[in-house]
Amino acid sequence: MASNPPAKVGPTALGKIVLILFVLACIAGAAYYFRDMIAPKGNQAAKQIDIGAFQQQQGKVEAPDTKGVTTVNEYTYVPAEKLPPVKGVSGYKWDAGEKVVQFPINVWIGWLPIVAANHGFSPNTDSIFFKEYGFKVNLKLIDDPVTARDAFAAGESQILWGTLDMMVLFAPELMRDSRTAPRIYQQVDWSNGGDGIVVRGNIHSVKDLKGKTIVYAQNSPSQYFINNLLLASGMQPSSVNHKYTATAFEAAAAFVSDKRIDACVSWAPDIYSIPEKVTGTRILTTTSEANKLIADVWAARADFAKDHPEVIKGLVAGIFKGMEKLTDPTFKSQAFQWMAEGYGMQVDEVKGMANDAHSTNFAENRSFFLNANDPANFERTWKNTTFVYRELGLVGTPVRFDEVMDFSVIKQLESDGTFKNQQDTYRTTFAPTTYKKVTAEAPIVTQTIRINFYPNSSNIYEPQHDDIGSAIANTLYDPTVEATLEKVARLAGQYERAVIAVVGHSDSSMKGKGTRYEDVKQLSLDRANSVKQALVKKFKFDPNKFIIEGKAWDEPADPDDPMNQALNRRVEISVYPPEAK
Amino acid sequence: MGPGARGQGTGDTATPPKPLTPDPGPRRFLAIRETIPSWMSWVLGVIPILVLLLVWVVMTAGGEAEKRIISPTILPSPFEVVGSFGSLWFDRALTRNLGISFGRVVLGFMVAFAVTFPLGVLMGAFTKVKAAFTPLSVFGAYLPIPTLVPLTMSLFGTGETQKVVFLALAFGIFLLPQTVAAVDAVDDIYLKTAYTLGAGPVQAVRKVLLAVSWPEIYQALRLGFGVGWSYILLAEMVDIGKGLGGIIIISQRRGPREHIYLVLLIIVVMAFLTDKLWVIVGRRLFPYREARR
Repeated sequence: MASNPPAKVGPTALGKIVLILFVLACIAGAAYYFRDMIAPKGNQAAKQIDIGAFQQQQGKVEAPDTKGVTTVNEYTYVPAEKLPPVKGVSGYKWDAGEKVVQFPINVWIGWLPIVAANHGFSPNTDSIFFKEYGFKVNLKLIDDPVTARDAFAAGESQILWGTLDMMVLFAPELMRDSRTAPRIYQQVDWSNGGDGIVVRGNIHSVKDLKGKTIVYAQNSPSQYFINNLLLASGMQPSSVNHKYTATAFEAAAAFVSDKRIDACVSWAPDIYSIPEKVTGTRILTTTSEANKLIADVWAARADFAKDHPEVIKGLVAGIFKGMEKLTDPTFKSQAFQWMAEGYGMQVDEVKGMANDAHSTNFAENRSFFLNANDPANFERTWKNTTFVYRELGLVGTPVRFDEVMDFSVIKQLESDGTFKNQQDTYRTTFAPTTYKKVTAEAPIVTQTIRINFYPNSSNIYEPQHDDIGSAIANTLYDPTVEATLEKVARLAGQYERAVIAVVGHSDSSMKGKGTRYEDVKQLSLDRANSVKQALVKKFKFDPNKFIIEGKAWDEPADPDDPMNQALNRRVEISVYPPEAK
Repeated sequence: MGPGARGQGTGDTATPPKPLTPDPGPRRFLAIRETIPSWMSWVLGVIPILVLLLVWVVMTAGGEAEKRIISPTILPSPFEVVGSFGSLWFDRALTRNLGISFGRVVLGFMVAFAVTFPLGVLMGAFTKVKAAFTPLSVFGAYLPIPTLVPLTMSLFGTGETQKVVFLALAFGIFLLPQTVAAVDAVDDIYLKTAYTLGAGPVQAVRKVLLAVSWPEIYQALRLGFGVGWSYILLAEMVDIGKGLGGIIIISQRRGPREHIYLVLLIIVVMAFLTDKLWVIVGRRLFPYREARR
């Protein structure tokens, strides 16, 4: 109303707002359009894993071998030809006068033979390593694997402790430098009850975990344990809600404190104390059943191994000698004492861990490193881990097993004959039992496999047939049968102590067409039996480990789609806990 | 850290009104409290960074891993680190994780502020309150914070609450004594004047203690905000996967090594930018503070 206001230039207030809104909308629109550039989801977002590929990949260990194997099949190559050569100047710390190997370990009873051989943690002249091989060993408690790895990479220690599955994760980075490439010469133990899965409520089988929340330490044996089980039972890992902690101890604590978490993968003693203290929780499975799943090993820096092969041989042999000496109870209690001192724990606490691990002697190492038909050998453990971790998007370019495994020392010791008295006694013998008895409890895990049987045949190695029905030589009706068997063998090998039920199912295409039910049942039983026989023959399993059953057409694979005959023709492999607990 | 990010902590003032500088005497290379032009402070700030970078380049120079002074299994070269930016951005969802971590830090900070601010002001104002809470506050300052991770987890679960509470604890332990000190520092003369004018205790706290100490409290908040970033790794140890801490923890196990250092660089850049933001907001909130200096 003022007589002569200065003439306003530019947009009105409303105009400004509209303009600002327009600009903001443009920015928002652009941001939305380029959202995958600005804020990509990352490649670890839940992706569907091709379970079929899991089955295929598992078989790619070797070419189909229809002859079957009757003798132990050993590697014949020379390790040095496959191991990456060491270049440059060695980068580890070493005093040629003192000769002290820096050997970090974590809190784990499996290292007892090393503590025993070394007569304690500190370098000393009483140790087997010094008396027999002329060098000393300094055992250092480095519980955190990342710290141990960094000390190894920096050359502060020449040795790295770990489980074989952890080595799969560490290896690609460490191999960027040929000097820090890990070389694995010896298995020290199998986890034998030390790792386990504790669940809440009415989870009785791995299948029941679907849609549930599970907590565990990422990049640890726990992660391998649970995801291997999920994949073996044909479940997508993304069908379970995973929560990660830094350590297994924290996983157990999280499970106890947070009722929304349905399961945890952790270590002893927590896995045993939780079901005692927390009502409504129970153990689903532990490595006392999956007693050949998690292998503890040690690796040496490649440059150190190259410069000091005699030290490597001395370490391997000294550890085997430590295992021998531990059979003496007096010496064993002394070893417990040393270990307790090194860990700063009570002797009783250390003794309480005694059953968590099984030390693997020379004979077991021989099988682990050299026997190509051992269903739980180095190669299979390595490949299985690599596969699980690659499917989870955790490893990019995987490292081949023969780039880290060096069996040359085991071979040398064999030709020396030093440990020929050590026997592989870590084999479960099974008493004959019945399907009904075994299946009284729920299976831990059920794996469904499909073998394309030739109609009315139970021969898994059935050749293809031509138009007039005669067999074609050197062909297989199901060319993936070896891969399928391999898959079963791995699970059965990992669950060395468990009973495996092999259940054959047939389709119902001839139902009501004059076919006798008994014949169908017999056919499904024969098919289960032929799977069992093939496994026993190739992998030298105890025949009593497998219980067979034929279910004819009684149980369709998918109750909602009973006429899906392709699905119905199948064999189910179920792992049951051993009867005597 | 950019040039003088911390160095400007006490004088956010690029161009302060000419202070009464004492006679500098004969010109020498280092004079006490001399005034230098802003370009010089930039240059002086950049030099150490360049030297550090140069050392890094030299220590990791050479193509083959075996020929370097420091192996890439420990420290990759700066070029390799920068070169992994693409995979960090796309494969590991850098922006999302950065946003998540930033959100946690901000939330933890707000929770800590909501608790320590009233408590700190009361402690600064009332001696009895101070006497009651000082021992706890001292204990907190000596506390090894990492030990609180399992404790917060058993109390607050494994979800977001635990992370925010853990960060809030870390923030609170830092902020509480700072807030008390800020209120403490208010000159008695203001209080006396207020009493003379008939102010009651509530007014004295609100209109005098608080009003005068606000800029100092703000300064404490600004310095304290950085604390959260140093604890993000610990906070994100539970339910690893999301956040920058998760990226570091996972890269330590299975690589790539480059991402560890790259995330560290990104945290530094974030710290620098947020600090600048604090400074800019501070200038708007307390323009008189600049004049006072």
